[in-house]
Amino acid sequence: MTIDRRIILQAGASALALGLAPQGAFAQAEAYRIGALNPVTGAGSPYGSGMAEMIFAAVDEVNAAGGAAGRRLQVFADDTQTNPQSAVLAAKKLIEVNKVNAILGTWSSGVSLAVIPLVNDANILLMHTSGAPALSTPPANAKGYGYRFQATNDRFGRAFAEIAVKEGYKRPVTMAFNNASGIGNTQGFKKAWEAKGNKVLAEVVYEPNQPSYRAELQKVLAARPDVIVMGSFLPDTTIILREAFQSGANVKWIIPGWAANPQLIRALGNEATEGVISVDSVANEQSASFARYDAAYRKGQSQPGASNVYAAMTYDMVITLALAIEAAGPGAGTAQINAKIREVANPAGDKVFSFAEGKTALAAGKKINYEGASSVLDFDEFGDVTPDFGVFFITKGQLERRYVVKI
Amino acid sequence: MEAYLIAILIVTAIYVLLSLGLTLQYGLTGLINFGHVGFFCIGAYAAAILSTAGSMPIAVGLVAGMLLAGLAAIPIGLVALRLRDDYFAIVTLGFSETVRLVITSEGWLTKGVQGIPGIPKLIDGVGTGPALMILALVGFANILAVIAFLRIVKSPFGRMIEAIRDNEDAVKALGKDPARFKIQVLVLGAVLAGLSGGFYAHYIGYVSPDQFLPIVTFYVWMAIIMGGVGRISGALVGTLLLMGFLEGSRFLRDLLPFISAVEMASIRIGAVGLALILFTIYRPQGLMGDYTRRK
Amino acid sequence: MAFWIELLISGLVAGLVIGLSALSITLVFGIARFPNAATGDTMTVGAYGALLGHRATNSLLVGGLTGAIAGAIVGFLGYWFIFRKLAQRSNVALLVASIGLAFVLRAILGVSFGHSQQVFQLPLVRPWRIGDVPVHPNDLVLAGACATILAIVFAILHLTPIGRRMRAVADDPALARVSGISPSSVMTVLWLLAGAVSASAGIVAGIKTVVSPEMGWDLLLPAFAAAIVGGIGSPVGAVVAGLLIGVVQEMATPLVGFTYKIALSFLLMLVVLLVRPRGLFGKLEGAR
Repeated sequence: MTIDRRIILQAGASALALGLAPQGAFAQAEAYRIGALNPVTGAGSPYGSGMAEMIFAAVDEVNAAGGAAGRRLQVFADDTQTNPQSAVLAAKKLIEVNKVNAILGTWSSGVSLAVIPLVNDANILLMHTSGAPALSTPPANAKGYGYRFQATNDRFGRAFAEIAVKEGYKRPVTMAFNNASGIGNTQGFKKAWEAKGNKVLAEVVYEPNQPSYRAELQKVLAARPDVIVMGSFLPDTTIILREAFQSGANVKWIIPGWAANPQLIRALGNEATEGVISVDSVANEQSASFARYDAAYRKGQSQPGASNVYAAMTYDMVITLALAIEAAGPGAGTAQINAKIREVANPAGDKVFSFAEGKTALAAGKKINYEGASSVLDFDEFGDVTPDFGVFFITKGQLERRYVVKI
Repeated sequence: MEAYLIAILIVTAIYVLLSLGLTLQYGLTGLINFGHVGFFCIGAYAAAILSTAGSMPIAVGLVAGMLLAGLAAIPIGLVALRLRDDYFAIVTLGFSETVRLVITSEGWLTKGVQGIPGIPKLIDGVGTGPALMILALVGFANILAVIAFLRIVKSPFGRMIEAIRDNEDAVKALGKDPARFKIQVLVLGAVLAGLSGGFYAHYIGYVSPDQFLPIVTFYVWMAIIMGGVGRISGALVGTLLLMGFLEGSRFLRDLLPFISAVEMASIRIGAVGLALILFTIYRPQGLMGDYTRRK
Repeated sequence: MAFWIELLISGLVAGLVIGLSALSITLVFGIARFPNAATGDTMTVGAYGALLGHRATNSLLVGGLTGAIAGAIVGFLGYWFIFRKLAQRSNVALLVASIGLAFVLRAILGVSFGHSQQVFQLPLVRPWRIGDVPVHPNDLVLAGACATILAIVFAILHLTPIGRRMRAVADDPALARVSGISPSSVMTVLWLLAGAVSASAGIVAGIKTVVSPEMGWDLLLPAFAAAIVGGIGSPVGAVVAGLLIGVVQEMATPLVGFTYKIALSFLLMLVVLLVRPRGLFGKLEGAR
């Protein structure tokens, strides 16, 4: 009996030792776990599965190049259902059950705002594509662990203002969908426009799912504007443009790229959309990183990569994170990795367009600057990207990029 | 794994409280309240505003939420007395949507569509310890609610309510005014919903108007219809079923990979609808039984 | 002045949609005696049905017919499988079951068509002008279609034997049964008709806006309000009240703003219920 107990105790002790020993004692360093938390269902569902898939694709790329700092990347995926309550439960599962070291790809502002306190408490990173301004600053981003891969709505608004100046418009009005994103766009425009000493002649905030937007249109048209600046989405843009055209209005439009897209043109026809200005953050379409992303996206989703700008962002999230892990070296924790993110993504340094390139350059002791598929990924002090904006004019049913605005 | 389960239990406990409020209202008065999420919303926002912009202690926010929700129930109750139950149901639906519209518009108070982030936790700290304490707190509130429920039912007040339910005219003939009692029950149910909303706000940490859509009211109705209407055990069982269903659909996709993930949202709402239909037809469990005089 | 006239016209057109769906609600409420919350999603079914028909033949008329037929079928199936089984139960049971049906319809549409918007591919035209006021030919066509539908409903109710029986059931179900009127034929026609009418409301809404699985549910509450304001059981009342609510919502917008204007329909409904429960044209049935 004594012998049995001793054997059991010894077995137990070695099992315990196995569990507690850092796996660096073995051949490989501990895997770096990524939580892919995306809007697979709910309002973000058009983008969510593509976003998740690109995280997996990028992780495969990194692992094929030997991992980051000797660590293999591992992904645990979950669905936010585009709803904060569900996202909190999913995040808790990822953090506490799967023990992830970073969460990537939350999409809606409500979700990111609900998840970021959990991420702060757990001392891990959050990379998201949400627009709400509150995500940049304390209390939400008090630890600086939040990174935004999408231009803030405010930035979009500022770009709109630059465009309005460039095109010589003098009498703008705004129409905003009543949610944080829509209002963020038009308020951003208003602030930038008024800072130049101009005035916005009328502003309207409209509710979703109305049978008609004539009254709203009437209000802005009464100010006799030359351009209407929109913070809107595809369904309401479709209705409003149609009603404007059919009421005989003769006015120009500046609309965010997610609303003024090929689907809008298909819905309304060439005549009603002629001359509409569609604005989107410049995906580095010419770059090699975009080409890699596009190839992966086409393979997985059978659609061009440009159809899901958020998937390009999640792809970049993995690559940027992996390069930061590589730069931080083995045994690095969240704070050390965090310190390297701007180092590998911001200017000053050799431009690299893939993980493998970056890894080689880092090994040679060089400073790198990863230029991503979604944008050049230059993060400001809040962790927000500062992309340029492509200005597209809808001409004869096609989106033609005429110039780029830098703000 | 336990931390995840604790999280689910906490959310379940919050919803049980909400269901208890509705069970109280429907079970004792037979009033069909399709605007229950409105009281939930009031409680959540009161707690959110007072603890963030108002910088008040959490307890103050929770109590304020309960009071405001209860107060909101009074005009609803007054209206209820004048209307047939199906008209009343429609009016309450309008009520909860109006609450949401007010929250959306009065941004100076509620931050409108941006929502209110950074709501402090009930108990500070990371890890299993504080989480268990939060669960204990919400669970304790539930137990208090159940005790209160039972005391009410067994009290003279409760007997009066049952008398009203059984024969309202007789009660009136005795010179008692049923209206007052019905309003009181409505208020109590709303108070529970307000408390539940406060807990919710402090747990999720962020509130926004689109978290308080009518679908939440119908989830709670589904819970009590499935569990058994008018009973405390019904509220508990039904809510467990509801949470199992909502969280379980997360894992369902692993079992049924041929269903596109995107369509899971549609399937979820379809299942809620089917449950409502099937339970109403085949297992009403006192759903429309003797609890209402008016048929 | 032109400003207000334009708002008035915009209100009337919005009111058409509300009025048609209120018509469906009031028919069911008057004869089957419960508020049918599946009306909204039947509207959506109609819109999708019309979309398919229009895409296949490029004819809006055919689309309208396919949509109306889809709605009628859905209405009938709802009756056959669900509401018929609940005939002896309280109207709240029927209401809850109708909500269940609404969700099921929405789920089926979501799975079949996806969640992104669809539009009727119709040529866009510039408006005519009468003085300072733009008048849109499409609006006139839609108004004409609605008037036709209303006329058809009236013809059925007042000029056909089945219509007479339906009105008898609406007036006094017990007496109707005693007189030997069989409920099932009345109900069948009722649900086919109500389904087709809500489908038409959905088609009009879909043409004016976009088609998506949620569109019907979002228009449901103003429709209920209109049915109540107009007086339950009065088809004329439903349509008039629908137009009224549409106009009130649009013309009050400069005063109350674009968010609160939605609450106006609830407010109007509440006031009517408390002050004059039978509505504008309803019989003295009482909301109590």
